[in-house]
Amino acid sequence: MATSERPQRRTMGDRLYDAIFSNRLWRSIFRSGYPNTPRNQMLAVATNVFLHLHPTRIHRTHVKITHTFCLGGLSFFLFLGLTITGVLLMFYYVPSVDRAYEDILALETDVRFGQLMRNMHRWMAHGMVLMVLMHMMRVFYTGAYKPPREFNWVVGVVLLVLTLLLSFTGYLLPWDQLALWAITVGTNMVGSAPLLGEPNRFVLVGGYQVGQAALTRFYTLHVIGLPLLAAVFMTVHFWRIRRDGGLSRPL
Amino acid sequence: MAATPQAQAQASSAAVRGRARRAREEELLVWPDLVFIEFIAAVLFTILIVVLAVMVDSVLLDRANAAVTPNPSKAPWYFLNLQELLLHMHPALAGVVVPTVALIALGAIPYFDNSNEGQGEWLSTPMAWPLTWIGAAVGSIGTLLLIFYDESKHVQIYEWIANGKLNADSQAEGFHAWPHQLDFMRGLRGIQNEIAWPDWTLHVPLGDVLRTDLLGFPRIELDWNIPAFLVEQFIPVNTMIGLPLILSFVVHKMGIAKTKRDHMILQFSGFIAVYITLTIVGTFFRGEGLVLGPYTIFAHE
Ligand code: HEM
Repeated sequence: MATSERPQRRTMGDRLYDAIFSNRLWRSIFRSGYPNTPRNQMLAVATNVFLHLHPTRIHRTHVKITHTFCLGGLSFFLFLGLTITGVLLMFYYVPSVDRAYEDILALETDVRFGQLMRNMHRWMAHGMVLMVLMHMMRVFYTGAYKPPREFNWVVGVVLLVLTLLLSFTGYLLPWDQLALWAITVGTNMVGSAPLLGEPNRFVLVGGYQVGQAALTRFYTLHVIGLPLLAAVFMTVHFWRIRRDGGLSRPL
Repeated sequence: MAATPQAQAQASSAAVRGRARRAREEELLVWPDLVFIEFIAAVLFTILIVVLAVMVDSVLLDRANAAVTPNPSKAPWYFLNLQELLLHMHPALAGVVVPTVALIALGAIPYFDNSNEGQGEWLSTPMAWPLTWIGAAVGSIGTLLLIFYDESKHVQIYEWIANGKLNADSQAEGFHAWPHQLDFMRGLRGIQNEIAWPDWTLHVPLGDVLRTDLLGFPRIELDWNIPAFLVEQFIPVNTMIGLPLILSFVVHKMGIAKTKRDHMILQFSGFIAVYITLTIVGTFFRGEGLVLGPYTIFAHE
């Protein structure tokens, strides 16, 4: 890897390159030049907080689409997309039993791109549940849960539960018949547990019936509690992938 | 006590020696090889989602009304598997115990199968594919058979064949009905409803056995109903634990599954198949009154 960083004779292109990638503004942001040499390519990954999720080099088999089908990455991507569309939806939505339904109606009819945002949020939510389940199957069938990755599998199971809960809490928010009764059926399942079931259901719903208290609780969990928890566990998940030596390989 | 620097150096060099050497020539740079793939995947997915969102609107039904219960009332699709289970056993079992145990079992997979066999490659052990298919087939067909049994479909089929006609009039002269001696096999409930259980078996007072009140919980008046217990708890639990065990046992005896990884593939594939089958039945085949039959989720209004 003895590529020198500058060619011997400076051409117009080189000058342009320097003007863009070696000036103080660019350097103040990115530290390294445009990633067109191996050195800069590694620096680009290593010095950028987002790209630093990755190692600088990875094994060639892990770049094959068919190894991961990008499923974990897509789960994360959908999580990010849900955060963005979710924040936009929050601008127009008030979690009150008197207003919630009308807010959704208004979102669909009066707000520019409102219907689109709602649709995207809903499809991505369904998609994320699907992607996470398929990611779990990918990890299982590639035997990627084996030592030293046992605990990251457990973290994954927690993420699966959080994903389901995120979707479930969101289900109530439109406050239509589908929402109310799906959550009633769902929380009644919790209530059927012996001994602690009914107290748990009561805490979850905030009363005997799905009403304002339930809406407040589900909303709070949906927009802040569960996303924060999920973000924490994702951080651990990604950190452990790096610590465990990247994706798993045959021994 | 901190180890001496020497001991530490020895330990760490041993660790380095123990680790497989990284083959640099087998490695690619993350930029551009991985970052670009991620970028393209993100772009394609964004397009897919926008197109989907433009074409298909999310459902919004009437305003929530606690006084009007829709029929059927359904949980979100990923819980319909549990709602399906709910129809076949005690609600506490289907709604809480089964999912809890399933999640714990799922999390425990790496602690059960802690070998390095088949690691890091798709289904790379010799029997991986056959085991996946066996698990998937047994899981899905077994689930369907169990549901059909509990829904008395075998009775329907028997009467269909015996009368040469589907849904023949049961009041008509010469109608061949399911034999009375076998009424207890009409479905799982048959064991409870079609057998003349002596009265005492319906109320075995266990009274104060569980003093939950001492812990501040509501008091449980245990009035043990043996037939109901059999049908709602005992048989379902034994079915859910027993059938997978029998499957593993048989496949082991046949010499197809030998290692822990083999059994894990078999069980996991079976579990996924059961999960998918229950979800499909709960989603598309439970209509009004949750009676088994085709049902479209998009049939609102
Ligand atoms: C919100 C949910 C999740 C997200 C965002 C996520 C994200 C990721 C990503 C980006 C990777 C890198 C490789 C890949 O893309 O496949 C990964 C790997 C991994 N995930 Fe997940 N994951 C999630 C849920 C799960 C679940 C449910 C499990 C298992 C029960 C799991 C277990 C693992 C394991 C063991 C690895 C290491 C795989 C290997 O070494 O090949 N994750 N995850």
